[in-house]
Amino acid sequence: MTKKDIFINATFKDNSIWRQILGICSALAVTNLMLNSLIMGLGVTFTLIMANMTISLIRNWTPRSVRMMVQVLIIAAYVIIVDIFLKANMPLISKQLGPYVGLIITNCILMGRAEAFASKNKVFDSFVDGVGSGLGYTIVLLGISFVRELFGFGSIFGFKVLGSWWTNWSIMVMAPSAFFLLAMLIWGVNTYYYKVKA
Amino acid sequence: MKDSFLYPIVFMLIMVVLFTGILAVMFRFSEEKIRTYEDDTYQKKILSTMVTQIAEATEQSPDEIIAAYPESFEQYVQQLKPDGFERKVYQAVVDSAVVAYCFEIKGNGLWGSMSALVSTSTDFRTILNFAIVNQQETPGLGARIEEDWFLSQFQNIVFVVNPESTEDVTQSYEFISESQKPENDRQLKRVTGATITSDSVIKMLRAEFNYIYDYVRSKEL
Repeated sequence: MTKKDIFINATFKDNSIWRQILGICSALAVTNLMLNSLIMGLGVTFTLIMANMTISLIRNWTPRSVRMMVQVLIIAAYVIIVDIFLKANMPLISKQLGPYVGLIITNCILMGRAEAFASKNKVFDSFVDGVGSGLGYTIVLLGISFVRELFGFGSIFGFKVLGSWWTNWSIMVMAPSAFFLLAMLIWGVNTYYYKVKA
Repeated sequence: MKDSFLYPIVFMLIMVVLFTGILAVMFRFSEEKIRTYEDDTYQKKILSTMVTQIAEATEQSPDEIIAAYPESFEQYVQQLKPDGFERKVYQAVVDSAVVAYCFEIKGNGLWGSMSALVSTSTDFRTILNFAIVNQQETPGLGARIEEDWFLSQFQNIVFVVNPESTEDVTQSYEFISESQKPENDRQLKRVTGATITSDSVIKMLRAEFNYIYDYVRSKEL
């Protein structure tokens, strides 16, 4: 498989959210604001890239019996590195993300890609897979949060785009709207991208 | 070798030591920066909750006073340590006269504890300003209690209406939806999708003002 194929697969064809239904919890939780989604997406992408590369680098020495413990350890370490880095250098963004940085550890996409790809492939391929998976995840988060923030707050990235005539839809701010939107997204992708017939 | 009994144990140990070491080194190098930022943010919040009163007494603009941090903090703000009082308390002093007090108060939100700074008039009855220090609420929902529009609702409200009461000294407030316009000064807007968090803020203020009044009724700060 070429690098381009790996990237396209990770980003679109095998997109973690709409195809593998992984990382749904965070997709539901943080998508009420686009800024939160973008920062979460960047955090997950960075952790995916670093964890994928490290797991791939040590794959030939990692015993099968402890491989998942090692993967969790590596993922957790990178998440804590992200957390410390944000607190020290970007404190406002760190505050904005609150508990979600820590929750990256529990994001199933990271374990999914580590086990399914990085533990069996070369370092650079794992890097490309990390970039693609992270990008695919970020695109979905931004797509859902665009609709939620626009209708829920009348804004995009915090900037008011709908005037005072607009009545905010409270349902869009709350978690259930993310369920509806995600379901509609998966339906749309299955129908028009994968051409799945009912 | 990978199938031997000892290999996985040794491998795991090496990985744990390696990554713990990396994290420890990284934390050690960032620790001071993080602590300095947290201390500065906290002190700036204290200063800004009392800045209007300091500005009035010194005939400066609030922006000038904030811009002069940390000198302005050292010049005007003093920490008090009253005997048996279990909250942090600060006073703003201009020309030897106290112009405002600021208390660090604590309470519980939906997901965990929260703390805030509330500045009061010198008779402790009016809330001058209110700022959240820490909260663990949902970003984009409950965490919106840190937004200016929510906090500014508490500015200059007479919160203590029964100073002599031994039951509850505080005013009662009614929450209305974010899109509604308040009909009177006892109506406050709640954060959409965060009813419990909004209620928790009022609950925290009530409990803490009762605690403060319990103390100041019998002793001086």
